[in-house]
Formats: sequence, structure tokens, C-alpha cells
Amino acid sequence: MSQAVIGQRHEIPDLHYLNNGHTIASWLLTKDHKRIAVLYLISVSFMFFVGGLAAALVRLELTSPHGQLFTSEQYNKLFSAHGIVMVFFFIIPAVPAVLGNFALPIMIGAKDLAFPRLNLLSWYLYVVGALIVLTSFILGGVDAGWTFYTPLSSIYSNTQISLCLVGLFLAGFSSIFTGVNFIATVHKMRAPGMTWFKLPHFVWANYATSLIIVLGTPVVAITLVLVILERTLKFGIFSPELGGDPVLFQHMFWFYSHPAVYIMILPAMGVISELVSCFSRRRLFGYEMVAFSTVAIAAIGFLVWGHHMFFSSQSVLQGIIFSLLTLIVAVPSAIKTFNWVLTMYKGSVVFTTPMIYVLGFIGLFLVGGLTGPYLGAVACDVHLTGTYFVVAHFHFIMVGGAIMGFLGGLHFWWPKMFGRMYSEFWGRLSALVVFIGFNFTFFPQFILGYLGMPRRYHYYYFAPEWQIYNILSSAGASVLAIGYLMPVFYLTASLIKGKPAGPNPWGATGLEWNKTSSPPDTHNFHEKIVVTEPPYNYDAISDNRDYRKMWGGEPLEWEKETV
Amino acid sequence: MAAHGAAIDPNEPVVYEQYETIEQQQETYLVGMWSFLVTEVMMFGALFLVYSLYRWKFRGEFFMFHEELSWQWGGLNTMNLLFSSFLMAKAVQATQLKRAKAQMWYLAGTIVCAFIFLIIKAIEWIPKFEHHLVPTASFHWPPHEPHGSGGGSPEHAKIFYSLYFTMTGLHGLHVVIGIIAITILMVMTKLKAKAITDYIPTEMVGLYWHFVDLVWIFLYPLFYLIPR
Amino acid sequence: MAEAHAEEHHGHHVTSNRVLNTTFLQLFAAMVITILAARAPIDGPALFPGFKDFFLKWEYAWGATNAIALGIAAFKAVQVIRFFMGVQYASGLIKLYAVMGFVGFTWLYILFWDYVGRPWEPVRGWETVPGTALPRDPDSDAGVPYKLYPGKEEGASAEMSHE
Ligand code: HEM
Ligand SMILES: [Cu+2]
Repeated sequence: MSQAVIGQRHEIPDLHYLNNGHTIASWLLTKDHKRIAVLYLISVSFMFFVGGLAAALVRLELTSPHGQLFTSEQYNKLFSAHGIVMVFFFIIPAVPAVLGNFALPIMIGAKDLAFPRLNLLSWYLYVVGALIVLTSFILGGVDAGWTFYTPLSSIYSNTQISLCLVGLFLAGFSSIFTGVNFIATVHKMRAPGMTWFKLPHFVWANYATSLIIVLGTPVVAITLVLVILERTLKFGIFSPELGGDPVLFQHMFWFYSHPAVYIMILPAMGVISELVSCFSRRRLFGYEMVAFSTVAIAAIGFLVWGHHMFFSSQSVLQGIIFSLLTLIVAVPSAIKTFNWVLTMYKGSVVFTTPMIYVLGFIGLFLVGGLTGPYLGAVACDVHLTGTYFVVAHFHFIMVGGAIMGFLGGLHFWWPKMFGRMYSEFWGRLSALVVFIGFNFTFFPQFILGYLGMPRRYHYYYFAPEWQIYNILSSAGASVLAIGYLMPVFYLTASLIKGKPAGPNPWGATGLEWNKTSSPPDTHNFHEKIVVTEPPYNYDAISDNRDYRKMWGGEPLEWEKETV
Repeated sequence: MAAHGAAIDPNEPVVYEQYETIEQQQETYLVGMWSFLVTEVMMFGALFLVYSLYRWKFRGEFFMFHEELSWQWGGLNTMNLLFSSFLMAKAVQATQLKRAKAQMWYLAGTIVCAFIFLIIKAIEWIPKFEHHLVPTASFHWPPHEPHGSGGGSPEHAKIFYSLYFTMTGLHGLHVVIGIIAITILMVMTKLKAKAITDYIPTEMVGLYWHFVDLVWIFLYPLFYLIPR
Repeated sequence: MAEAHAEEHHGHHVTSNRVLNTTFLQLFAAMVITILAARAPIDGPALFPGFKDFFLKWEYAWGATNAIALGIAAFKAVQVIRFFMGVQYASGLIKLYAVMGFVGFTWLYILFWDYVGRPWEPVRGWETVPGTALPRDPDSDAGVPYKLYPGKEEGASAEMSHE
């Protein structure tokens, strides 16, 4: 392995993918996976702040028990907008479409994704879908929540649901095309020697995610079309007045949307596997088991959707079956967590910005994941369903897990994407602020849920004692917002002022660090790639300790003794 | 293997820059197409699921509803689509054997069949609009001059016709997309190369078209041939 | 084999005319059988006294025509996939993806456990009797606010937030 020399001064290469063409057309018509990743990064961040705005208004409303700021209708539209934008336009595309697009082809030694034009089409579908959805918000909003349960969405609601669903349909096809692209790429574009069990876990995770996307998304897409048909043409499929079953919609929706939560978290888990191994300077513990658990999660994830429907007139028989299966799906997630922790154990952990995000991820995912079985056990879920407990559960996983993973990965690959280092001080600070803000925001929601506060209500004058928790949560949300805004500034600043990172600032293994410049060339590699090394071969790196010193880690006790 | 930068041989397929060999490129395109077809199967699969649920739920009644559909027209269309699929398979074969003329003729034949399919569909659908059998607000059951008994509950009839129009409609949409795809394929083949270089574009359009046929193979018995 | 010289080209298989023709004829025959099996008991000739009655009983007992129709459809689908789509001669990877969609599709049917289990503890709203659920408001898109299920206020109203 070519090892970067520590402390050396680096230069940005003369020609790389960013300065290979400066016109707007060279960006908007690009077929380069790295440029498309940058396009995605911009659009996804924009949607994140749109969704964040809605969230801020929701939190503002909840500071008072009387719901004084908005009417019920306005509040419904706010939380729906928040959920729709965050789920379909931020978390689902964030890691695969930004980090995956950028890193996946390089990691397997390919010059590009298999179908570059299809990749660009994905981005356009995403943008058009997002614009349509935003239009539907401007024209009056959507009030059925991100879950669009019938018959509310198909018969009763008189908001812009049809238009919004058209946008979601397009966004769905955007992710399907990304999935198809990843599948073909991982199967056929690997460099010689890059066998399945040498793949970095980020690739495994994106591959499994793509399978879920390809199998699940069309189901929800067609279900949403059925809702559109019911609304606009007055067809009847889920209509109870015709003897149809509105709960069937929930079945079909969750058949996709439970696996979709793994679409959100699996790629983030892949990021964590990369990072934890790099910053513990140690081979990932139990490579095979982690790969296996990735695939197992993807498969079992399709077997548990009924746990969202325990109390929507699903039969008790099905409820029990799904309850059991739900408890099983927690096992592979636990396997991963144990492996990450064991990787850190006796490793020499370096507390860089990405690593702090990783530690945040592991802790928060643990809490979020462990509350899953509570919700999955029917008897317990009777009390918890429809309360803030559920809200806290999935925010711990999606915000504390997926977004932390995304930010960690972004900070990890940022030097590779743009060739410059950001300010490590501000980076660490932002990671800490996010972690603290997050806990203040969402931990009180567990208590609220336990006390019985229902989700999707905008007043609670009947229980004013909840106000203190809600105020805590809203205050935490403002801290969290600051934490999310900070990277916007220091990362942007790094593009101009950051010191050149050099090909491998972290001393990481992997083709993207060792065989490409930062930023990479348009064709990624200057040489022909043949992979011989095992993955995460950190034990073979001799200057691990120097890397740790460089990033400010003190030698461990046992290390001092051996010195 | 076609080397990069070397003069392009008009008889050899172009290897795009992200691939190493033509075999790799061709197989990749096939994998991509097949994983897209997985999506398509799941998309129609969800509708088939809804169908089977209601068919099972209203098993006595679906027979009466389906009597308004003409199994003769449907049968004709099945035959037609099977034949078009056959032509498409021949087109792919001709392309592989580099017989440009035959390829064009077979593709043209496939398009003709596709148009016949749409015409027959129109013949079936248009009277349904007049007879208020389209499940919009003006849906009416029993029909004024029923072909069959006209029995069964009007509500369930509406579900049946919603399914019928959604599923055959989505399938019809795929036929239209197929026509567009084949047309583009023919134009591109004519414009781009004097001799056929790569059979993969034809193969991919072919896979798509066979899939359209595949869906109809199930739609026909499920809607037109319901047993009593 | 149509042309012996062109059988293998760039490593891919060229399906022969004989296979294509046979497949097409099989498909055609299968279609005719499906139509006959479905229509014979309804408007086919009475082959022998009591033919239709016999057929109907047989069918009611085992849902036989359903099975025949779907079995034949499945056979046709398999033939199309194998020979027209060339999966028979394709790589293992293609075979995997050719099968995957159908596995996923079958997977969806798990939700039938729900509908099988429901009659064991009836739930309101799923009765087949028409008129149990509420009448649809034809103008619901034009400004009429939520209406609750008649007679279901206890359950439903708790979900709705109104002042
Ligand atoms: C570790 C195993 C997990 C288990 C056992 C589990 C279990 C559950 C259960 C039972 C519910 C339904 C609660 C209710 O509505 O009463 C639920 C809701 C939810 N979970 Fe999980 N979960 C797990 C992991 C995840 C992951 C990884 C994510 C996302 C990345 C996630 C996201 C969600 C979401 C979004 C909801 C709420 C959906 C809604 O009603 O709007 N869960 N979870
Ligand atoms: Cu779930």
C-alpha cells in the first residue's frame, strides 16, 4: 500500500473533476458520478433546510399548551411538510445519492457508475419531484402526514395531495434508477481482485439498500398512484364505502416504508463501518458478520411491516406474527453495533470530527434501536403507539443515526471531494453541538410519550404539565439547528481557505484514498487497478501512532508501557 | 476487446469509457435491465395482490362483473401480443446475426402488433365510457343492457372496474412506452450505423416488450376468463 | 439451428429458429386451452348429458378452473422468460434477477394472513354487506371538512384534532 507521508505539504492537482469544465452546462449535463454527487449534495441540503424550517415551526407551536400560533389545519400541513420533505427528499437520498454516488465507484475501482446518463436522469427526477412537492405546499399544502393514510388522503382531505403524490412518484423513480445503477455497478464493475469479501462495507450497504429500493419502491409508487386515482377520478380501491379496505393501503405503504427505514439507516451504517475502522486504526471486527448482517437486515426488513399496524384493525394473528418477526430484526442491527464497539476496543481511537459523529451515532442508534423492540412487542405498543415515544424512537434512529452517519461521512470524504481540509476545531465543535442539541430535543420526547402525549397534536391544554418537556425539546431544537448550520459555514469556508488535504489525510485504507488524488481525476484513476490487499488493512500500516498524534490523540496507557 | 483511442471499427460495438471489455458492457446492461424489470414486476405485483385480495373477498360476484368484458376481443389481443413477442424475439435474433433488414422488418411488425393491440383496447374501452362502466363518479351498475346477468353489488362492481381500468390502463401505458422505445430504437439504428454493431439495445427493448407480454398473459385469464 | 456459423458471437447465445417457433406454438396452444377450460362450462357444447353440471361441481370443489388458468399462465410466463427473454442461456446472475421479482411478489402475499385472521375476531368496516361504511361525499375535494364514520365516533374522534 502506498502510504502518505505524514506532515508533508500537499498541492491540489492541476486537473481534477471539479475544474474539468466550468460552464453551467458542464455541470447540468455532466455524466461524471462525482459531479452528480455534488449536485445531489446541494439539492439535498436545500431540502434539508426546507424540512428544518417546518420542524422549527412545529417546535415553536408546541412550546405552548394552547396551540396559539397556528390553527389545526396549518399545524397538520406543517408536520406533513416536515415529514414528507425530510423522509423522501433528504434521508432516503442523502447517503446513497451523495456519498454513495461519489465514493462507491471509486471504492470498487471503477471509472464511473455503470449507467452515467441514468444517474443524471435520477438527479433530474429528484429535482422535478422536489419542485412539484414544494409547489403543492405553496398551493395550499398537504395535511395527511407523510404516511398518507386512506381514507383521509383519498376521500376526506381537500388539500393538494394529488399533486404532492405525483412529486413523490417521480422521486421514487429517482431512487429506483439509482438502485438499478448501483446494482449493475457492484455486480459488474469491480476491479480485478475486488472480490465480494474485499468490498468495503459502504459498498455492501449500498448494494443491500439498492435491492430494497428496487423491490420496495415500486410497490409504494403504485399505491400512491391508486390514491391519486381515487382522489381525482373517484376510482374505488381502498374506499370503505364500496366494501374496500382502507387498511390495505397501510399494508402496501408499510411494505415499502418499513424497508425504507433501512434504506435510510443501512447506508449510514456502511459509513460508520468505514469510519470506525479508520479512526480506531484497526481492522473492522468481524468483517463477514457485518456483511452478513447487512444482507440479513435487507431481507428481514421486508417481513416486519405489520408492526406499524398493530392497532389499525390488522388481525391479531398477523399482529402476533409481525411482533415476533420484529424482534428478530433487531438481532442483525445488534450484531453490527457489537462489531463497531469491538473494533474500537483496544484500537487506538482518534477523536477527529468524523469519529465524534461516529461515537454519537453508536450511542444514539443504540437508544433508538433498543426502543424498537419495546414498540415491536404488541402488549407494550398498546400504550406507546401514536405517542411521542414513537416520534422519539424514530428520530433517534433517523436523526441521531442516519443524519449523524451522513454528516460523519461527509466530513470524512470532504477532503476527497474538494481537496481541502475544513477547520478541525469547528468540525469537532459542531459534532458536539449536534450531539448535545439532539439529546435535548428528543430525549424529553420519550418522557412525553411515556406520559401519553399523542403525536400530531398541536395543543395539550388538558395536560399543562407536559409543557416543561416540550420547552426543553424546543430549546434543544434550536441548539440542534445551530449545530446543523455550523458546517454550512466552515465547510464552505474550507473550499476557499482550507489547506490542501493531499490524497490521504486520514491515512485510511481503500482505493479512494490510496489510488486517487484529492479531488480525484475525472476518470478517477491514473493507473489500472488490481486489488490484492484485504479490506481495512490497518494492522499493516506502520505509522498509525503518528496519525493519532497528528489528529491530537494521546497515546494510550498500554502503549506508553510498551514504548 | 476494443482498445481506447484506436480507430473505431464500424463493425465493432463501441465500448463506453467506463467499461473494460464489450462482454462486461453487454452483461452490465443486461443486469441493469433485469433489475429494472424486478421493479416492474413488483409494481404490477402490488396491483395483482390487490386484485387477488378482492377477487377472493368477492369471489361470487366477480364472475357477474366480468361478463361485461369481451373474452373474444381479449383473446384476440392475447394472440396478437404473443405474436408480437415472437416477432420481437426474431428481431433480437436477427440483430445478433447482423441481419439489418430483417431486424427492421421484425421491429416494424412488432410496432404494428402494438398498434393493433391499442386499437382493440379502444374498441373495448370506448363503449364502457358510454355505458357508465368507467369507475368515475358517473359509474353505474347494473349496466342498461347487460351482456350477462348484471347482478352483484354496485359497490363491488366499482371496485372490479377500478381494478380493471387501473391494471389494463397501466399495461396500456407500458404498450405506449414500448411503441416509443421501439421507434427510437429503429430510428437510432438507421441513423447511427450502416452495419449493426451491438445487439444490446435491441435486446433491452426486447426484454421490456416481453415483459409487457408477460403481464398480459396474467391479465387475460384474471379479467376475461373468470370462472363462475 | 438456423445458422451454424453465427451461433456464438461475443460469447452470447443466439436462440435458434426452432426454439423460437416451438415456444410460440406452445404459447398459442396454451392460450387456446385456457380459453376452452374457462368457457367450456359456461357456453361450450354439452358434450354429454350433465357435462356442465359435472364441470361446475368439479370446479366448485377445488376451484379447478382457477388453478388451470393460473397454472397455464404461469407455464406461458416461464416459457416467455426462458426462451423469448433468453434466460435459459443467460448467466447465473441474470437468472438470479429474473427470479427475484417473482420472489418479492410472492413475499407480498404474507399480508393475506391478516385477511385470513380477521374473521376470527370481526372488525367493523370490513363486512361485505354494502352500506356499513359511510357514503362518499362526491364534493370532498371542494371544501367539505372531515366527516367521521357514523357510529364510530369513539374511535375516530380521538384521532382528529379540532377545537
Ligand atoms: C432495530 C430495530 C427496530 C425495531 C424493532 C423497530 C420497531 C418499530 C415499531 C414497532 C414501530 C411502530 C410504533 C408504532 O407506531 O406504534 C416503529 C416505528 C418507526 N420506526 Fe422503528 N424499529 C426499528 C428500527 C428502526 C430504524 C432503523 C428506523 C429508521 C431509520 C426506524 C424508523 C421508524 C419510523 C420512521 C417509525 C414511525 C413511522 C410512523 O408511524 O410515522 N425504526 N419502529
Ligand atoms: Cu417499521
